[in-house]
Amino acid sequence: MTAVSKRMAHSFRLNQVSRKAEAAFHLVLGLFSLACIVPFLFVIIISFSAEDSIRRIGYSFVPAAWSTDAYRQVLSLGDALWHSYFNSFFITIVGTLVSVTMCVMYAYPLFRRDYRFRSFFSFLSFFTMIFGGGLIPTYIVCKNLLHMSNNYYALIVPMLVSPFNIIIMRTFFQTSVPFDLIEAATIDGSGEYSTLIRIILPIVKPGIATVSLLTALAYWNEWFLCLLYVTQRELYPLQYLLMEMQRNAEFLARNSSMIGAAGADAIRTLPSQTMRMAVVVFIVLPIACAYPFFQRYVVAGLTIGSVKG
Amino acid sequence: MKKMLALLMAAMLAFSALPVLADSPVEISILFEGCNVTDDAAVLEKLNPYLAEKIGVTIKPVWGTWGNFDDLAFNAVTTGSDEYDILFTCSWTKNEYAPYARKGAYVRLDDPDDNLLAEYGKELTEVLPALLFEGAMTEGPDGQKGIYAVPGFKDFATMNTWDVNVTLLEKYGYTLDDVVSAGFYGWGDIFAAVKAGEEADGRVFYPFIFEGAVAERNVIGTPIVTGDANSLLSYYMNVEDVSVPGVYGNTFVNKYATPEFEKFVRQMRAYYEAGYIDPAVAIGETATDAWRNAQNTANYLISSEVSLYGYEFTTSEQRGIQVAYVMTTDAPYIDNTSVQGAMMAISANSAHPEEAMKFLNLLNTDPYVMTLLNYGVEGIHYNLNEKGEVEFVADARSTYSPWTNGVGNVTLLPPQKGQGADFQEKFAEFYSGSKKLPIYGFTFDTKPVENEIAAVANVKEAYALSLFTGAVDPETALPELLAKLDAAGMQKIVDEANAQLNAFFGN
Amino acid sequence: MKRGAGIPGGAKKTFWLTTMMLPATIWLLLIRYLPMFGIMMSFLEYKLPNRKMPFPVNLLHSPWVGLDNFSFLFTGESLNMIRNTLGYNALWIVLGLVISVTFAIMMSEITRKFMAKTYQTLMFFPYFLSWVVVAYFLFAFLDPTNGMIVRAQKSAGGAVIDWYNTPVYWPFILTICSIWKNTGYSTVLYLSAITGIDRSQYEAAAVDGAAKWQQTLHVTLPHLKPMIIILLIMNVGKIFNADFGLFWSVPMNSAPLFPVTQVVDTYVYRAYKSTGNVGMSTAAGFLQNLVGFVCIMAANAIVRRLDPDSSLF
Repeated sequence: MTAVSKRMAHSFRLNQVSRKAEAAFHLVLGLFSLACIVPFLFVIIISFSAEDSIRRIGYSFVPAAWSTDAYRQVLSLGDALWHSYFNSFFITIVGTLVSVTMCVMYAYPLFRRDYRFRSFFSFLSFFTMIFGGGLIPTYIVCKNLLHMSNNYYALIVPMLVSPFNIIIMRTFFQTSVPFDLIEAATIDGSGEYSTLIRIILPIVKPGIATVSLLTALAYWNEWFLCLLYVTQRELYPLQYLLMEMQRNAEFLARNSSMIGAAGADAIRTLPSQTMRMAVVVFIVLPIACAYPFFQRYVVAGLTIGSVKG
Repeated sequence: MKKMLALLMAAMLAFSALPVLADSPVEISILFEGCNVTDDAAVLEKLNPYLAEKIGVTIKPVWGTWGNFDDLAFNAVTTGSDEYDILFTCSWTKNEYAPYARKGAYVRLDDPDDNLLAEYGKELTEVLPALLFEGAMTEGPDGQKGIYAVPGFKDFATMNTWDVNVTLLEKYGYTLDDVVSAGFYGWGDIFAAVKAGEEADGRVFYPFIFEGAVAERNVIGTPIVTGDANSLLSYYMNVEDVSVPGVYGNTFVNKYATPEFEKFVRQMRAYYEAGYIDPAVAIGETATDAWRNAQNTANYLISSEVSLYGYEFTTSEQRGIQVAYVMTTDAPYIDNTSVQGAMMAISANSAHPEEAMKFLNLLNTDPYVMTLLNYGVEGIHYNLNEKGEVEFVADARSTYSPWTNGVGNVTLLPPQKGQGADFQEKFAEFYSGSKKLPIYGFTFDTKPVENEIAAVANVKEAYALSLFTGAVDPETALPELLAKLDAAGMQKIVDEANAQLNAFFGN
Repeated sequence: MKRGAGIPGGAKKTFWLTTMMLPATIWLLLIRYLPMFGIMMSFLEYKLPNRKMPFPVNLLHSPWVGLDNFSFLFTGESLNMIRNTLGYNALWIVLGLVISVTFAIMMSEITRKFMAKTYQTLMFFPYFLSWVVVAYFLFAFLDPTNGMIVRAQKSAGGAVIDWYNTPVYWPFILTICSIWKNTGYSTVLYLSAITGIDRSQYEAAAVDGAAKWQQTLHVTLPHLKPMIIILLIMNVGKIFNADFGLFWSVPMNSAPLFPVTQVVDTYVYRAYKSTGNVGMSTAAGFLQNLVGFVCIMAANAIVRRLDPDSSLF
């Protein structure tokens, strides 16, 4: 291509990168994306592989025999499975709503340069990212003082505030909210809350979508809180159901020489590898379904931003 | 308005007074471990009225699993929580008996001032063998020895064995005697013949699949030293007669520094390089899976097992082959590890230690309570056949299966299908022939050398399994390990342990 | 006085803004600050609480042992794990930053938004998965008897690599795993920052004759700067903390790999498992906090000197 035609192409493409460059982008991103998804497909294939096939040819993208045994085993968990499915959804939805509300309410004044106690509250939250009291004192405070034991609070409250998300949210305010807007609104007599809700929130939608996504993911994948505070099976989230299988297997492996023959029986009744893979599929599927929904908001935010410009 | 308030106050007072009414039974919360219980309603419905009537107690079990084994009791003990009145404890994993007793987490049961055992546990002390209580003696916070938990009455002696697939062995013209007489150092030819034969059709076969640490114990003859959770020390048994000391006398040695150990790992290396050992048993996370899988699918020639009486009947049937267990000592040996393997302690934070003791007493002496708690309700979870043996109802059992050894006195249980009506008598007779190790009763207190142990354990962890299974070359790895152990303070640990052992024998 | 101080409202404004902070503040005080007294456990020989001395009274009865609980972190062996922790973190901070910013910019330049969206969705996927699951993926390939790669090597007649016993490959494997799992996440962060940029700025730059890469340099990157800097500072603060799951599960806890897989967190965990000493693990956590604090303060001070607006506090 000559310099002239290059410039022509350039102007035709309305300030975009060249086709060649874009092709290269597609190649790089495409390959990486493929690498990201292939192992999950592999897990699905393994979850549908017959145990016998795994024993004979190992893990393979093309198993010698297919089987739905693993899923039949998972479904035979019955109530335990559906309870924990419900719990996971409940915890994720309630947790995300409360957590994101608190996050936005905390991040907004931090972004207001005219707020008096800004640096104090900044420090108050960021300091906890680096310093903590450790597991045992936190456990005692939550359990003895706040009575988080065998209830939904225990699975929601300890993760409500994430200083990291506060920082992300504050950064979003900084990069996308023009300060004059607040000034104008205040002069018009708008209260602080109504300014935030009516004027600011619509602008930072992409930020809220991002923070919601991160929070929801964190709640969905959480199992350690359940290990700490919950012994009632009706309260197990799905993730813990899987972790428990995993931890059962690990414990028996580590201590088999101590448990002896009784352990051999326990190991024999452990869920098979394929069944664990099937549970992984059960866990990942809802996220995979919900993610594009979140993404739409991110994209919607994008269009609003560019229309405004 | 005032009247209303007064009425409200009166109502509240009445409510708060309710729990102390004399007739209502006391609820005892119990932490069991290693269970798979999702539905205990049927059991509690039968059990609680019975307990209430007999001893004025009802129970609220918390069914710990293997997965939270390390955490539930640990959290309760370290935070001083009163949520459990009775806690499972043992000499292994994080919910350890001796250190917690020393730190004051449990009620002393034979306290001279308040002897719960004598007062509420009389039947219990008559039923359980005296040697169990002997093994349960440990130091309390006051430095005095006492009993801090009720030991479980189970297979209380250790049997380290080689698990031999006799069916496969005989297919190649060998007998069990050949395996026994050749011994660990002479199995090369047998392995070679069986491997060649089994691989004739092109598949991969590993004749020797075992648990690294148990193989070491089998070959060298070293029991677990109680308190030495990281397996740093060796005490050499006399495998011809486990009741007298072995070649090194009554001392502890650095496990990795003896000529016996070097000979063992060199042989393992030879077997590994010849392709007799499955490489998967050398990788921490896959070792147990590979080993148990090979056993369950009868895909091995020789394996290892910490076995118990009558186990070959069970496994032969399960695997569809003839299994033999070759004991590596002259008799099952009694050590703290086997005696303290599963115990029930009363929490120092419990508000009802007397009631807890009453319950433990009944649990260990009343077959009805023990069977109900362990096997569930007859007609729902199991049925008795005409021989009086238990046959489980698979569906109901899958929602209610506690870990039998973790509950209490297993000798109260009816026999399971295939064991025969006289199983418990045979079981008891077999274990009455077991012998006490000379160091029985000794517990290594690691507190004085805790810093060294933290460092040494990390070093040891990096080498032990690979050496035990032949995955690394001892020519280079062994000197490396010894040098690093030395630098991390191994000698100090060995010296401390020996000083404690001397004090133990001096007493 | 900074811009914006001119907003009227005074005490009333401050009051209303403060009420917004209340819910999270109460949470922080209760669940983050209150337990901080536990730091003192680093210096104590922890005595178990009981009925006569419940927590935290038992802390008063626990003897002071000074720095004893810290010493296990500084034996001959520990130098190696400190090197691993700092080395991997430093490498991954830089690598992660470069890759995810590059990917975010690439994505924002793709004309077919549907494709960009697809890439983004796919790349975020690994972030959902726990390390345990990732470990099994890897094992499916590297398993010494059944792994796909091992089978392929065997059938090709080549030498079979004993992956789980050969440390040299693992710095690369761990790096790939870390990038693979985390890139999608940070790409989304940067991408949403890019979407917040006013398009007219690009058009103005284009009118001025700036080529696309120049626009990236002069418009996109300056806009990403606050976020890059914040994420950098925060990562630097965690330089002495390792992702436990990655270093524990992914190498399958294989012992011969320890020289390249042992990091502070796994070392402390193994030491904790072997001693059950609460004081020691609290001490290790405290030290990690301290190092992180110093690093974050240093990084923040440097940033503040260079560009006061971007500093964290």
